Amino acid sequence: MHYDAGSCNGCDIEILAALTPKFDVERFGIVNIGDPKQADVLLVTGAVNHRNKEVLKNLYDQMPAPKMVIAIGTCACTGGVFHNCPNVLGGIDNVIPVDVYVPGCAARPEQIIDAVVLALNKLSGAVKVEEDSE
Amino acid sequence: MNTVQIVIATILALATPVIGGILAGVDRKLTAKMQERIGPPLVQPFYDVLKLWGKNPMISNNLQPILAFSYLGFALLAAGMVTFQQDLLLVLFIMGIADICLTVAAVSTKSPYSYLGGRREFLAMLSYEPVMLLVDIAIFLVTGSFTIKGIYAYGKPLAMVLPLALVALMFVLVIEMKKSPYDVSGSGHAHQELVRGVFTEFSGYTMALIELGHWTKLATTLMIFSLFWAPNPVIGAAISLAMFFIALVIDNIYPRLTWQKMLKTTWSTGFILVLLNLAVLVFGGII
Amino acid sequence: MNPETLVAINVGLPVVSALALLILNDKRIRTAIVSLSTLVLISSAFLLYQSGGIVFSPEHIYEQAVVALDFILLVYFLYAGIKAKSPPVIALGLAQIIPAAYFEFVVKGTHVENIIMVDSLSILLTLIVNIIGSAVIIYALSYMEEHEHHLHLKKSRQNRFFFFLMLLLGAMNGMVYSNSLYWLYFFWEVTTLCCYELIRHDMTEEAKQNSVLALWMGLVGGVGFVAAMFVGYNAVHSIALTELMAAPQALMLAFGLIALAAFTKAAQFPWHSWLLGAMVAPTPVSALLHSSTMVNAGIYMLLRIAPAIQGTPLSSVIAFGGAFTFLVTAVLAIRQKVSKRILAYSTIGNLGLITLCIGINTALSYSAAVALLVFHSVAKGLLFLGAGVVENKIGSRNIEDWEGLLGRLPLTTTVMIAGMVSMFLPPFGMLLGKWVAVDAIASSPLYVGLPIIVMVVLGSAATTFYYAKWIGYMIVSPNSLEKHKDEILETPYKLSMVGLLIVNVVISLGAALVFDNIVIPVIKNVYPVVFATPNLSIDLGFTSFPVFALWGGSIAVILIGSWLAKSKGGVLSPPYLNGANVDNETFRTTADSEVKLSLSWVFLGGSINEAQYEKIALVLGALVTVALLLAGVI
Repeated sequence: MHYDAGSCNGCDIEILAALTPKFDVERFGIVNIGDPKQADVLLVTGAVNHRNKEVLKNLYDQMPAPKMVIAIGTCACTGGVFHNCPNVLGGIDNVIPVDVYVPGCAARPEQIIDAVVLALNKLSGAVKVEEDSE
Repeated sequence: MNTVQIVIATILALATPVIGGILAGVDRKLTAKMQERIGPPLVQPFYDVLKLWGKNPMISNNLQPILAFSYLGFALLAAGMVTFQQDLLLVLFIMGIADICLTVAAVSTKSPYSYLGGRREFLAMLSYEPVMLLVDIAIFLVTGSFTIKGIYAYGKPLAMVLPLALVALMFVLVIEMKKSPYDVSGSGHAHQELVRGVFTEFSGYTMALIELGHWTKLATTLMIFSLFWAPNPVIGAAISLAMFFIALVIDNIYPRLTWQKMLKTTWSTGFILVLLNLAVLVFGGII
Repeated sequence: MNPETLVAINVGLPVVSALALLILNDKRIRTAIVSLSTLVLISSAFLLYQSGGIVFSPEHIYEQAVVALDFILLVYFLYAGIKAKSPPVIALGLAQIIPAAYFEFVVKGTHVENIIMVDSLSILLTLIVNIIGSAVIIYALSYMEEHEHHLHLKKSRQNRFFFFLMLLLGAMNGMVYSNSLYWLYFFWEVTTLCCYELIRHDMTEEAKQNSVLALWMGLVGGVGFVAAMFVGYNAVHSIALTELMAAPQALMLAFGLIALAAFTKAAQFPWHSWLLGAMVAPTPVSALLHSSTMVNAGIYMLLRIAPAIQGTPLSSVIAFGGAFTFLVTAVLAIRQKVSKRILAYSTIGNLGLITLCIGINTALSYSAAVALLVFHSVAKGLLFLGAGVVENKIGSRNIEDWEGLLGRLPLTTTVMIAGMVSMFLPPFGMLLGKWVAVDAIASSPLYVGLPIIVMVVLGSAATTFYYAKWIGYMIVSPNSLEKHKDEILETPYKLSMVGLLIVNVVISLGAALVFDNIVIPVIKNVYPVVFATPNLSIDLGFTSFPVFALWGGSIAVILIGSWLAKSKGGVLSPPYLNGANVDNETFRTTADSEVKLSLSWVFLGGSINEAQYEKIALVLGALVTVALLLAGVI
């Protein structure tokens, strides 16, 4: 599942490119599903701000465990060039736990695919299933 | 039926989810090839279902799990009715129960996408059921029986006598597989219009059950299509696989149409084709 | 107990009981009378079934009584017509009273030997009337209490209500035992009287108007009977049904007129609007008269005359009349917003299905018609009872208030869902009947069978549609289904609803036994038996319905599903609202406003224009009516 937490769409376009025949992330069995309830990996772009942090948290909570979060692009990792601005929170790890960080502006499709594969390996390496605290 | 036949029929019925899963894998691989991609491995759908089963259970309301299992259960019952060579009308009605379980489950969660998908799923059922019923009746008029046993007893391949019915069944298959142009209620790909449509509120093991049910229905429908060349099961299988392939090609060519178009085209073209076929048979003196 | 006494009980006890209920307007006495009467009537129905039927002549005084009561009745109708200032009622009343008087006093043709004839078909109707009727009257004990409470009535008018309700049972029984067309016509008109009085019970403007509508449509049927008496007497010098059935060729017009009367009673096109309007009446009226009992009078008439008109154009016209009705009402039901109207359309549609089976008039289709009659009466009665309870408890008839009803009224909603499922899903009896019907239609001559099967196929898909939609709507829940303590069901409600539900399930499970013990006796007098019931399944030779296997499979699925649900369970999660959830039903939107999610009931609003379909219904109905009469003359 892909969520745009206020990005300039640069990273979003790169994510879309990863789905195209040239890069084809589906060969790893990955499809882009818009429904958090059926998603395992949450791709987030953009520096999260005060308005959409609740949406981000809500989407994260609606995903059943085990799940992974990947912060794509420098804005998602740390806030990027907007880091100290008053309206952004400076990186999505202020809202939800992040498993893989993909820096770059914009992050390249090969990096994104690499990150997803890394996340899946991390997932299968984890033997115990996270218990939901709710 | 003797014991060996009963055992074979039961095993075949229980194997329909597996057959359907392989077909789903072939679907994704072929679609990828048509789009010049590599695509996932053939057994990817099974990995998906296993993963879904292992997720932390999350449900929308207390009735959802029972209804999700009923979707699979009644689909398996329908598959059993086919392998035990029972009445085709009853097979259709039982697959109808399965669909209703899915739709009622979708409508019963108070979610806009799910509700929208559910209502469209009702319309999809409204579109393809009459056509399938009419094809069943055409089969009766030709073979003198509604049962699959009767089709085997008839001897001649149905595809020679009812070719237009096969074309009408193409519409049914496309709606059943939830492929463009008739994937109005919940397709395989992400759609901003619907999110996941009728499947939106399912997750984890309930989604796994729905996937398995969907594969079962797919395999059962293709088994029914293979009856159109009853004397030689290999040719029959080839016919149903050919129809499956054509559905994939159509999916990749067409965009999604509106439900009004779906209803209108399925009813008009489906009915006209079958009635035309029957008219030719009446004038030819075959029925 | 000898059959003559049973006949007297089935016809006479309801009359006596009705008079007692009219005079004694006390709640406890009423409960006692009703409980006693219904017990006796149910037993009497079973005993009559065991006796196997009888033919005899009652004493002459009864014949004179019927004549006298008939004229009193017709004068009362005229009076009602004058009071309501309704030209159709007055005209039709005169059109009956003058010829009837002429027939009685000048032609002197009303005497018939062996007026009372009880055969398997009569016994079937008695079983339906007495059992379902009893359930409804018991239900009415609680319903009318609540109903009058809602209306803030100072003085109870329930005595009048129960009088007509009980009288109807007697009239129905009397009708199915009559061999004389005159007696049959008299009891028929008594049912019209009960219908008229019960629809107008609440005395609102709407109720009075709809009662007059029902009255004049019913009187059309009465005129049909009187005309049929003249035609019949002219041809065979008798108005005994047995005589008329023996010489059908000369009497096609008479049968056409009787079929017309049957169409008015069974609300087939174009005579359907009275049944829709009758939904303003209190629900026991809808349950008893307009779904499971009185409308069966029309079906009974058609079943009675069917063997005599086999293979004739009249029979085909009846088939098409039923088919049109089935298809158009199925489509119209999708647009309805009042629960009882949906059920009304469904009733008319299913009666159309039964009518068309009778019209196709083969051994198999006749069997399908009888089976459908049994299953439909029970299921539809059950649905109306449930709808009435819901209406009383939530105080609304609007279907949008039914959203999420499972949480508020669990037992009632479960009963309703079970009833609806039994109307259109296997392995229940209605689906079995529909399956036999489809087989029968497909086996009939193509020029009739093919157009009708197309209509049945489309109508059947539409039926599935609105029932499944309704079920989904009732179980909507944003989160867990917490049981509310709102639901307090009085004993009569519970007794009647659960009782009928049990009957419904038993007859579906034991469908093969129903076919053996109820359908075969009715058929074998007039048609060959074309099915077998090996191993509790229904075998038609060219196909079979494995009742046991389907029930077993379905129950297994439900049980395994429940076990799985309980063992895996799951955390309750809110619905997906694009991440903007405030709670399970509300989402945040522009300018930080919070909007509650509302799911609408309206469907296919742009595609189905109700007014247009009504016009189609009237045109088709007019054509059918003309054809019914022409088929008799040509």
